[in-house]
Amino acid sequence: MAAHGAAIDPNEPVVYEQYETIEQQQETYLVGMWSFLVTEVMMFGALFLVYSLYRWKFRGEFFMFHEELSWQWGGLNTMNLLFSSFLMAKAVQATQLKRAKAQMWYLAGTIVCAFIFLIIKAIEWIPKFEHHLVPTASFHWPPHEPHGSGGGSPEHAKIFYSLYFTMTGLHGLHVVIGIIAITILMVMTKLKAKAITDYIPTEMVGLYWHFVDLVWIFLYPLFYLIPR
Amino acid sequence: MAEAHAEEHHGHHVTSNRVLNTTFLQLFAAMVITILAARAPIDGPALFPGFKDFFLKWEYAWGATNAIALGIAAFKAVQVIRFFMGVQYASGLIKLYAVMGFVGFTWLYILFWDYVGRPWEPVRGWETVPGTALPRDPDSDAGVPYKLYPGKEEGASAEMSHE
Repeated sequence: MAAHGAAIDPNEPVVYEQYETIEQQQETYLVGMWSFLVTEVMMFGALFLVYSLYRWKFRGEFFMFHEELSWQWGGLNTMNLLFSSFLMAKAVQATQLKRAKAQMWYLAGTIVCAFIFLIIKAIEWIPKFEHHLVPTASFHWPPHEPHGSGGGSPEHAKIFYSLYFTMTGLHGLHVVIGIIAITILMVMTKLKAKAITDYIPTEMVGLYWHFVDLVWIFLYPLFYLIPR
Repeated sequence: MAEAHAEEHHGHHVTSNRVLNTTFLQLFAAMVITILAARAPIDGPALFPGFKDFFLKWEYAWGATNAIALGIAAFKAVQVIRFFMGVQYASGLIKLYAVMGFVGFTWLYILFWDYVGRPWEPVRGWETVPGTALPRDPDSDAGVPYKLYPGKEEGASAEMSHE
């Protein structure tokens, strides 16, 4: 754990002995984070593939199933997540420029957006539980008061809603993990924890948060904007 | 002046406000275009007279609107990766990771050839029951699923597990 140089400034990042320079050390952290993100791409990728296969197979029916989803709420949530990603990018910038106050405000803003996302998600999900659109034994298609035509096979509707709840649910879980990660980052930054001496922790949490945004960028058109 | 230009700061790149703001506005505009592109064939008449007829007469409207919506989504993803995630200014190694992650994802779609190409050269027992992914029983014309243990009665699989 020895650092290069005689005097160690607690406010400057420490270069650990296995690294030549601070740049090499920081790149190693980021490559590690990117490796993790690639595994995330693989996990969500398999789900996107399953979705694509069924969408291709039942393309006429998927339009009828998606009519029960609100493209307005979904669109609002997309705007919200894009804005949260912007705030996170600003938080990383503020950290790099050592503007601690601005960093905390941007991170807090990101958390607020994340909670708004979950609230909107709850507004969308709760009526689907009440209308028996959750793929359990009580699943019922067509719904009693359909927003659209209510057509299509109940078995295929169950496939659509299984994919919908699995993919948006897994994404929602990532949003919750993001909230926890950002909160821990804020607390550790506030307490001036040893692990946080430079912008890298914020950058890594930021990369994760942008990935969460990326997934939603594709989920939105695939579930909410299916053309006729 | 970090406000006006991207700059090097203590050896690492700081993305400027101008780049971040422009990226956000691009994402916002792309979002509006996505919704318009997806809703236009349905709500078209209210927006543009004659647009709906034009679209519905167009044989490939389904594929085209999909391609537009996903093309814009891909553009948004690229902008987020380049500027918000900072890959544009990162080292070659990080660029390689970022590109390979998403290229690897597209490779998964090679599996589609199996589904698309299966009817080209039908193999006995490989045909699926219409509307499902279950293999069809080759000895039946009724389109019933293929039995894994032909000849065994109900509950036979439970007996097998005791053996």
